Amino acid sequence: MARLGMVIDLKRCIGCNACTLACKQENATPEGIHFARVVTCEVGTYPQTKRMFLPTLCNHCSDAPCATACPTGATHIRPDGIVMVDHELCIGCRACNVACPYMNRHFVEHGLLKHGYSSNGISPMEAIKFLEYDEGTNIKCTLCAHRVDQGLEPACVVTCPTDARIFGDWDEEDGKLRRLVKERNGWVLLPEYGTKSNVYYLDA
Amino acid sequence: MATHELLIAPHRFAVGYHRQTFWNWLIGIAFFLGGVGGGLFFVSILTGHVAGMIVAYVLLAGGKNTAHLLFLGRPERFLSAARRPDRSWIARGIWAMGIFMATGIVSILLQAHSKWIHLSEPFANLVFALAAASAFFIACYDGFLMRSSAGVAFWRSLLLPLLLFMYASLGGVTLSLTIRELRGETFSPILPSLERWLLVANFFLLAVYLYRMTHSFPAARESLREWLSGTYSRVFWGLVLFVGLVSTLLLSLAHSTVESSVLVVLIACCELIGDFSMMMLMLKSGLFAQQVAAAFDSAKSSA
Repeated sequence: MARLGMVIDLKRCIGCNACTLACKQENATPEGIHFARVVTCEVGTYPQTKRMFLPTLCNHCSDAPCATACPTGATHIRPDGIVMVDHELCIGCRACNVACPYMNRHFVEHGLLKHGYSSNGISPMEAIKFLEYDEGTNIKCTLCAHRVDQGLEPACVVTCPTDARIFGDWDEEDGKLRRLVKERNGWVLLPEYGTKSNVYYLDA
Repeated sequence: MATHELLIAPHRFAVGYHRQTFWNWLIGIAFFLGGVGGGLFFVSILTGHVAGMIVAYVLLAGGKNTAHLLFLGRPERFLSAARRPDRSWIARGIWAMGIFMATGIVSILLQAHSKWIHLSEPFANLVFALAAASAFFIACYDGFLMRSSAGVAFWRSLLLPLLLFMYASLGGVTLSLTIRELRGETFSPILPSLERWLLVANFFLLAVYLYRMTHSFPAARESLREWLSGTYSRVFWGLVLFVGLVSTLLLSLAHSTVESSVLVVLIACCELIGDFSMMMLMLKSGLFAQQVAAAFDSAKSSA
């Protein structure tokens, strides 16, 4: 049994958005939909300010509220912990959208798959990947399940130039994820929502 | 100066509270009709009022269902939504609606033309009970559904199902009175009295709900601010509070001394406007949390 997840080291993140682009390219998500985002902000008061980057993705929660809210069972958790959507079953009720406190669910509006990301129509990559999506249904980060199934790491992880994203299995007792979180007091986003997130962050 | 803590984020890469835009006006209409229709059917079946039952059946089977189907991304698959009643309120709602549509129509026929349908008394009573129970459930379950939507902090209160049920009851009683008045039927004086008590109870329940939100998550407090003094304050003070509760109560009190059909219709209009505005306000003011709060707190301390 595995419980796949990620640790994101905010000290290493430089806000380059390479993960955003790698995800976009790997999954050819429709226009306006980003599975991986880097939230950027300045904190502090001049002259003591700091630029903050927070890479985000689906937290693949063990107690995923989106899966609980789904009336059809389209959203389900794989044995390795990845939260997936079966778009053949999804009815587009958007209960998962309002259930996910991290806003990592994305609704594919009607007509969205008729044009690609660029103005030159649908690219060959989009023509292939768009077959996996269905208008009027929900999509989400799959932790690059198609790559993980081949023993590869997610696209956002392999692309990160500073190794800020660390992918692994939480069920490995002496694994790097557990070690990092223990050593540097890792934390999750919105712990008060009790989702048992599998994406941890390390302080900047 | 950092301004991240109070702003509504313009896009998903920005910091701030994010608006709930997934459930739109169609869901607002569906929830509103579910409440009013469920309440009306429940009141009508208890008082044996056929016209009220028919109107409620049309509101639920025709109105609510149509709004839901128009909203769905893939309406042709709607029956799949009944697959997980063990954990999803939408699935439970589908089951309740199915039971209601079957037993509701039989109840109406039994009530209106008992000579046409021959059912043994225990079986007829069972049908009435199922129709009443499913209408009651339909009037309540939207509140539970919203409460279980964990992403929106403003809905995460056990008081929400109660508040929506109370509004449903009020809408049901008001519509029942209006239909009887317009049809020139007599009715028990208990109904207008019940309407006034429900108006007072809704006022206090709404106040308690909003007060409870002052102790809730930061996103819920921001939603509350939007109700009281922010983007939606005019709708709240004007439509929900003044038109929906205060004016309705004053007109209802006036109706106890002055008999007038116009007054009854006016009461119904005010109540329904307030009811619908409250539902839309609930949906529109829903905010997602600032998920970066912890990250910024740690960054601020080291800045």
